[in-house]
Order: sequence, then C-alpha cells, then structure tokens
Amino acid sequence: MNGINGTKWILGLAAAMLAVGCAKKGDSASKDEMILCPYLPSRIQTLDPGNARDMYSMEVAAHIYEALYVYHYLKRPYEIIPLLAEDLPDISPDGLTYTIRIKKDVHFQDDACFLDGKGRELKASDFVYALKRIANVKYASQNWAPFDGKIVGLDDFREYTKGFKKQWDVDYSRPVEGLQAIDDYTLQIKLTRPWPQIVEIVLTDTSTTPIPHEAVDFYREDIIRHPVGTGPFKLKTLQPSCFVELVRNKNWRGESYPSEGEPSDKENGFLDDAGKPIPFADRIIWRVIEEDQPAWLLLMRGNIDAMDELRGIPKDNFDKAVTVERTLTQSLIERGLKLQIYNDPSIYWVGFNLKDPVLGKNLPLRKAICRAIDRNRFIDLFTNGRAMPAHGFVPPGLDSYDPDIVQSGYSKYDLAEAKQLLKQAEQIQGGAIPKLNLAMPGTDTLYRQYGQFFQRQFEQVGLELGIDYMDWPTYMERANKGQCQMFMNGIVAGCPDAIDFLEMFTTKSFAPGANKFFYSNPAYDALYDKVRVMQSSPERVEIYRTLEHMAMDDYPAVFILHRVAYTLGHDWYKNFKPQLYSHGLCKYRRVDVKQREEYPALLKKLEREGK
Amino acid sequence: MTAFIIRRLIYMIPIVFGVLLVTFVLFTVVGGDISQQIAGKNADQQTIDEIRHEYGFDKPLFLSWDSQFIDHFKRAVTFDFGRAMDRERISEKIRRGVGPSLMLTGPMFCGELIVAVSLALIIAFVRGTVWDVSAVVICVAGMSIPYLSFIIFGQYFFAYKLDWFPIIYLPEEPMIKSVGLPIVIGIIAGLGAELRFYRTIMLDEIRNDYVRTAFAKGLSTSRVLFKHVLKNAMIPIITNVVLALPTLILGSFLLERFFGIPGLGYLMIEAIGSRDFFIINAMTFIFSLLIVVFTLLTDICYALVDPRISFK
Repeated sequence: MNGINGTKWILGLAAAMLAVGCAKKGDSASKDEMILCPYLPSRIQTLDPGNARDMYSMEVAAHIYEALYVYHYLKRPYEIIPLLAEDLPDISPDGLTYTIRIKKDVHFQDDACFLDGKGRELKASDFVYALKRIANVKYASQNWAPFDGKIVGLDDFREYTKGFKKQWDVDYSRPVEGLQAIDDYTLQIKLTRPWPQIVEIVLTDTSTTPIPHEAVDFYREDIIRHPVGTGPFKLKTLQPSCFVELVRNKNWRGESYPSEGEPSDKENGFLDDAGKPIPFADRIIWRVIEEDQPAWLLLMRGNIDAMDELRGIPKDNFDKAVTVERTLTQSLIERGLKLQIYNDPSIYWVGFNLKDPVLGKNLPLRKAICRAIDRNRFIDLFTNGRAMPAHGFVPPGLDSYDPDIVQSGYSKYDLAEAKQLLKQAEQIQGGAIPKLNLAMPGTDTLYRQYGQFFQRQFEQVGLELGIDYMDWPTYMERANKGQCQMFMNGIVAGCPDAIDFLEMFTTKSFAPGANKFFYSNPAYDALYDKVRVMQSSPERVEIYRTLEHMAMDDYPAVFILHRVAYTLGHDWYKNFKPQLYSHGLCKYRRVDVKQREEYPALLKKLEREGK
Repeated sequence: MTAFIIRRLIYMIPIVFGVLLVTFVLFTVVGGDISQQIAGKNADQQTIDEIRHEYGFDKPLFLSWDSQFIDHFKRAVTFDFGRAMDRERISEKIRRGVGPSLMLTGPMFCGELIVAVSLALIIAFVRGTVWDVSAVVICVAGMSIPYLSFIIFGQYFFAYKLDWFPIIYLPEEPMIKSVGLPIVIGIIAGLGAELRFYRTIMLDEIRNDYVRTAFAKGLSTSRVLFKHVLKNAMIPIITNVVLALPTLILGSFLLERFFGIPGLGYLMIEAIGSRDFFIINAMTFIFSLLIVVFTLLTDICYALVDPRISFK
C-alpha cells in the first residue's frame, strides 16, 4: 500500500464511520408530544411476562401487558380494583372456585404475529394459556413457585409437559380442570385449597398477564424482545442495557384518572386530573443508568423526571438533597424539586443457618449476637439515616405490622446482656465459641464496610467474625445449599399481605425456597397452615402477629432495618405519588411540558446568581 | 510468504484448542453449575433440573461424545454461542455491541496514536530541554491519576457544567455526539503511558547517524522526523498498534458503563456481574482468536514496512 493510497483508505474509513455515527436515528419527538423520562438503575432482562421476575423488567412490561387486577393508584390502605377483569372475582363459599368475568372489547396491540397484523380481541382463553405456559416445565419459568400445588390439575399439566423435548411441542388445548375459559369472557380458577392471597399475589402480577399464543408461536424465544400486550403502551425501541422507548398503543380501550384517593391527595395535587382520560404521555423513554453520578447529573439537568420508587436518591448525593431535618435543601427547592418520604415495606437481616452445629442449637449465642448489634449506628453509617431499626420481620405498612413489637426487645442493643448470654452459650458449646463466618452477597467497598462494621460489633462482646465476600450468584448458591453459617439478606413486600414474610420460616420453604435459615418449628408450621387459608380478618392479623413472635423467640436472624424511601421529582412531573405494589404507573403520570421547557432558563438564572 | 501464513494458520489450531480447554475448565468445571441462578430465586427442583437439561449441564464433562466439552467446542467453532442467561442469542448481543464499541474505541485509539506519536517525535527532538522534562512530568502525573477520576471529572465538568457534550448516550441522536466526550477522556487518560512509550522509541531512533546525515543534507525538520525517523520506528509502533486492535472490539469497560454506551465492554461487565458464563466464554474465545489472528498480521506487517525482514 503506498502512502497516498493508504491515506485515502484511512480517510475513507474514517468518513464511513463518521457517516454511520452521524446518521440520525429514528424520528425525533414532535414538539407537542408529552414524553415521560424516568430511568432504570439496571438493564432489563426480558419483556416476556411469563418469565419476568426482576423488578425492572416487570416495570417496563407492566406498561405493555395488563393483569386482571391492579391496586388503586391513590387509595390507601391499598385497594384492589379490576383492570382487565370486569369486576372483583366471584368466590365460592368454600373459597375454592374463583369466577372472573373479563372486559369485552379489549384488543391486543397490532402486531405482525396476527394474520392481518391487527390485534385481535382478548379472550378468557388467553389467561388460561398464560398460566399453562408458566406451568410448562420446558419453559422453565421463574414464576412457577406461587402456583405449585395450588390449582386443580395444573401440576398434572406440568407433569405432562415433561414428556416433550421443547416448550413449543406442548399441546396447550389439553384441559386443566382448575383452569378453564367457561366462555370467551369468563375465566374460572379452581383451587386445591383456599388461597386468599391469589388476587394480591398472582392476579395483579405481571407474570399472569395474558399473552397471545400467536405471538409466542411467531417469535418463539425472541418473544423476550417482542412484547404483544393489551396495555396502554407498546414497545418502539429496546436496547436492554441503555434505552427503552414505548409509544402509545392506539388499540388501548382507554381509562380515566382516578377521582378518589386519600384525604391528602387533593391538597397534594394528586386529584387535579381526576376523571381525565389516561395515559397522558405519548411516549415513555427509560434510560438505563447504572452509575450514580450520571443519574444525578441528568436529574439536575432536567433530562430525567424523577428518582422514583425504583431507586431513591444516590447515597453520595443525599447530603446535597436532604437536610438533617429531613427536608429538601434550599438549592434543590430553587430548582423546583420535590421530596417524598415513605416507609418501604422491606426487611434486611443477618440470618443464622440453623443447620449449623455452632449456631443451630445455641439460642443464647444467637440472642447474644442480636444484643451485640447496634442497629442505629448501622443505619447512620450506611443509609444516611434512611431506615428504621427492625424489631420484628414484618415491616411497617403491612396490615399485620405490630407497632408494639418493640416492647418485646428482640432488637435491644445491650452489650452487658450479650456478654451474659455468651457465658450460657459457651456452656452449651462446651468451651469458647469458635470463629464465626458471615457471607456477604457482594464484593464492593460497601459490603466490605458492612463486614468491618459487623466484625467490630462482634469484637465488642469477644466474638471473632470472618467475612466471606462473594458475588450474588455464588452467595445464592451457597445459601441455598446451606453452606453459609451466617448470611446478609433482605426482601421487599410484593403485596400488603405479610404471608410471604411468614412463609420464610416454614419447613416446607427450606432452601432453595425462601427459608434459607433452615428454621423448623412444627408448631409454627401448623399455625401457618391454618392461617394461610384464612380470608383477611382481625383474627388473621392476630395469628400473623403470633407467628411473628413465635419465630422471633427463636432468634433465626438479627433483623436490622426497614428502609425508608426518599424519592425526588421535578415539579413538572405531575401525579407522582409513590405506589408500592404496582408497576406500570406511567399511565397516571403527566408532565407539564411548558414548565419543563422553562427549566434550562431557570438553571441559567440560578447559575448567574451563583447558586 | 504463503507457506509462512499457512504454517502459522496451522499453529493456530492447538492454540485455539488450548484456549477452549482453559475457558471450559475455568467457566464450567471451576465456575460450576449455574442452573439454580438461571432458574431464579425461589425455583423448584423441577425447574432447576429442566434448565440443567436445557443448557446441557446434566451431560458428562469430558468423557463422552455427547459431553459438555464437545458442546463447548462445537459452539465455538461454529460461532453459534447459543443463548445467554436471559435467553437472548449471544451472537445477537455481540452483533449489537460491536458497532458502539468500535465507534468509541476506534477514534479514541486513532486519536491517541496520532497525538502520542506526533508529540513523541517532537519531544524526542527537543530532548533534554524544559519542554521534554515538562512533558515527562505531565505524563507521569497523568499515569498516576486513576482512569475513573478522569471519567468522573470529565463527565461533571465538560458535560454537566459546560454542557459541551451529552451526559450520557443519547440513542435518538447521532452516535458521534454521544461518544465525543468519552473519546476525549479516553485519549487524555491514556496519553501519558503512550507518549512515554513512543518517546523512548523515538529517542532510540533519533540518535542514529542517518538522522544527522539527513539534517546535514538540508532536509527540513518535519521531513526528517515524519518521513525518515517515523518510518524507521515503525516496527515497535506496529507491534503496539496491531496487538491493540483486538481490544478495540472489546470496547472500554468503564467508559461504556459511565456513559451508558451499549457496547461490548458494557456487555462484558454485565456478564461478569451476573456470572453469565455463556457470554464471558464467547467473548473470551473471540478475543483470543482475534489476538492470534492479529499476531499473525503483525508479523506480516513487519515485512511490509521493513524490507530487511523476510519470511522463512
């Protein structure tokens, strides 16, 4: 290659790259369009609702797919209302049969998977198909667990699917007694035993949303990137690790913004749009931003509307945003940002593996460790005070939360008592307590700081603690095999019922189920079996609380904290009311476009004033 | 030369096989069975078993015609890497990521090379002066500052404060807009080490007799430096450049993550974080293959730029 040709070649290549790079992608937004700009702190895994379990995938999928029921956007305590169902289910007196009428004239979005490209009408059989698909063992859905043994004939259907090579080979027309489309608009579910939480746990969940079999047959495994739903939005662009764009689904039947809510909703402006048709937005653009700095800078610049329920204010920016009095700083008030604070129904703990020979049979040792941990210090150090000490494992906000549990002193910080208990523990052990080990589900600086904190706390009472830092999958694998002596973990409630929290301590839920403590108490199991079939009532609440105390008395974990969420949104982002148990809330949210357009000028003004 | 190339291509076979063996041992034998992880947090045993079957984890590791290693081997040689843990085709993910990665690393690499080589020539020419010393001090300082600091400062100052660039990748805008700042940051952050490396090469070259002769004959400084010295310093430059080319495809882990650029660096970081061995395996194999191919290309380039080198 001579010099001139080489130069030409390089210039040609550079020009080609520049041309590709400069090509404008897609059509730009029209000026009149209302675009919501939320953000996702992590990539989405799939848009196939049957196998979506991570909250970010569910958040996006819930705008495209709709469930039978949904939580009322504004009312508190949370109230379930029909979404694709015509009304609440008819429940037989024995609590075993649910008959659900579905709305007529609901259509799937237009898509190439349909014969003429036009979305067909939703039928009850689409729900049957969605549930059978989850049961198909060849599909290997992450969402099977809640259905296991609960719907008549569904487990047999699952057995039947085992005989096939591929998920596509399964005959979905094979009847399942407990799952039937009585007619095009009536779905009937028969249960093997009463399951009062079926509506809260699965019929509001993205996993059970109807999906047309045409789409699954057409896209096969690529259905993860080609959602076809009945929801208010449809997918336009998907770049899972950086960008998701939805546009309005013109086939959507339409709804109105709620006209009722909490008493404070009117004053907070959440009822200003009462009765207006939704969705307000023409597009939703989620940016996936995994690092805190760019997310914070984009919020400050006004490129994203809010730091919402999915991720609060980044830890490093918290002091810039919130004062010690827990109000918004002056600088952010001037930028027109608004702060909302609410209890996140979560619990975080250091769990004990009760199969472990040292911890399992030594209640005083477990109790001593619980007395040795200063929860308030932990909260101050690691959460900017965005949490409250946990005295039990049912978080505030759930109907069975016991505000008096603090009196039981499970989480008392008392080093003298801890030392006293350790003497008893050493007698049971038959000598000094050996070095204990705590498994951390992460290897970054924050987890190392957690580790150092716990080591220091253990040292105060004369216990030696080793820390095993590991990535999340390794941690899960070891915890599920019972190979962690102690482990740090936590969960967030998926519905206002505490049944999931109570289930964590049942023998049936031993790991790989939710009970990674390997806690087993026959009396607890018996009472749990009794309560899990009870409908919501004051009596059920009492039994829930009794169960919580039963487990707490055995100290299966050091329950550390319940998170308190701090969300931040621009003033132009309207109807931004936190809703803890539903996804797909963008249809209620609105942007004051004019106010957003004026924001750059406001920033310039503040800059000139040196603020 | 043809015989040489064929011979080198044949040598590649055991190397590639060795890479496959090492990646298999690392990610399958040592890494263990990840079916529990794919099945989700509360999966039952049936689902875990099904996934184990689907991904072939229930097959023997080596000692069978239908073993996990044979599957691993087949996937690699056919470039059909199967599906990732999220069940999307790995080849599709890689295809999607190559463009953005190259858009970032291509200009960054070229920019860095041109600036570093040009400055190195000039600095070597003024060696021993205050300019030379200052440049070395700046280079060492630049090398001492962590890469992340350049990113955080650059993003805050140039994108947020001065508003010269977007803070993060804008899919709706031309790609060049989104990669502008990461390219600048990448060039500045990498310049110290590169400049010092090329300065050493140029210093070795500039002390040769032919340079003095060229100046004595009245050739201009730029002609001496950029035509004669540069040409004679090409061997180490080619080694450095050609062997760096495969890394361009891998993208830049930190820059892609901070600027949300959906390239292969980002893909790799995510795969490592989620222990998606299928992706890590595929990327490692492709990368090692590229290294082998580009090493061969380096040897060929030597002969093209230096007539003293011949193939045997």
